[in-house]
Amino acid sequence: MAKKTYDLLFKLLLIGDSGVGKTCILYRFSDNHFTTTFISTIGIDFKIKTVELRGKKIKLQIWDTAGQERFHTITTSYYRGAMGIMLVYDITNEKTFDDIVKWLRNIDEHANEDVEKMILGNKCDMEEKRVVSKERGEAISREHGIRFMETSAKANVNIERAFSELAEAILDKAAGRDADPDHARIAVERRPSRAPPARACCS
Amino acid sequence: MSEPEVNTNEEKKGTSDFVEDGKNKMVIKCKYCLSKILEKKTAVYVEQEKELPLMFQGIDRKQGEIKKEMLNEYYHVDNMYIFENIGFTHQVDNYKYLTCADCEAGPVGYYDLDSKHSYIALSRIEHS
Ligand SMILES: Nc1nc2c(ncn2[C@@H]2O[C@H](COP(=O)(O)OP(=O)(O)OP(=O)(O)O)[C@@H](O)[C@H]2O)c(=O)[nH]1
Ligand SMILES: [Mg+2]
Ligand SMILES: [Zn+2]
Repeated sequence: MAKKTYDLLFKLLLIGDSGVGKTCILYRFSDNHFTTTFISTIGIDFKIKTVELRGKKIKLQIWDTAGQERFHTITTSYYRGAMGIMLVYDITNEKTFDDIVKWLRNIDEHANEDVEKMILGNKCDMEEKRVVSKERGEAISREHGIRFMETSAKANVNIERAFSELAEAILDKAAGRDADPDHARIAVERRPSRAPPARACCS
Repeated sequence: MSEPEVNTNEEKKGTSDFVEDGKNKMVIKCKYCLSKILEKKTAVYVEQEKELPLMFQGIDRKQGEIKKEMLNEYYHVDNMYIFENIGFTHQVDNYKYLTCADCEAGPVGYYDLDSKHSYIALSRIEHS
């Protein structure tokens, strides 16, 4: 009926320990936030957002994960179709940072092997409660060749940017694959993280 | 008074500001933050009697009670990826309710899990 109104569709998942702020990142939770009683009671499952990257109109379908999900309960069916994963920890909670490695292993086991990942150190508005330095976040991301950013769902810092960077990475990967199907994957895996240099999160 | 048809004519006249060739003539936005929900001419105008929960439930209601209102003008979208920006709630009965993707105002409509079609209520959005 209606003609296709976009060029590409990317499915993205938000993953990480309970309490790191995944739902708030999806909800955006900014000052102009306006959740009605009815909507906040039911909760939002996923969103569709349209972004424009390099002249292409891209639809992002972004999924939150259910509250108590732990890495051992998240399996293949859960990751099905996901092209990008936002792996979130809480900069004020050491355990959530330690668990990033376990989440990465889970993703390796169950997700599509060329899924694009990004690590987010969330709650960077709480500088006084910080226990995970930005350097440690950058180091682990570099080690795994993954993009990294510190975010605050509360202060609305880097949230939009994180999603467009992840989308851009998926776009790059897709372009590479089209151009050179045999070598693109290897090239992508060896490419170092393009995480931008230290950028003050909430200062 | 003598012409009962006058009513329907007036109704048609009202919607013609928004509807052209059966589709939305204007961009559809969130009433509260003006986030773009649908591009021009991407949804089909339909008249159907369908209840939607109120956006503001109020504090005087009883536990578990959901206040609704009957609405009869909707835009029909047969593929969810036609939306520019939209949020889907968790499932309630056979529906997911639709919200603004940016400020979560809603419900602005509903998604039917059987047909996989979406409906946006004209009274819950802004034409621009
Ligand atoms: N200060 C601050 N608090 C935040 C931020 N993001 C989330 N929070 C708070 O952290 C708590 C948990 O946030 P959620 O979004 O519910 O966490 P979640 O990752 O969805 O947790 P589960 O659904 O249990 O997996 C809430 O009390 C939020 O208000 C942030 O950026 N800054
Ligand atoms: Mg949550
Ligand atoms: Zn809005």
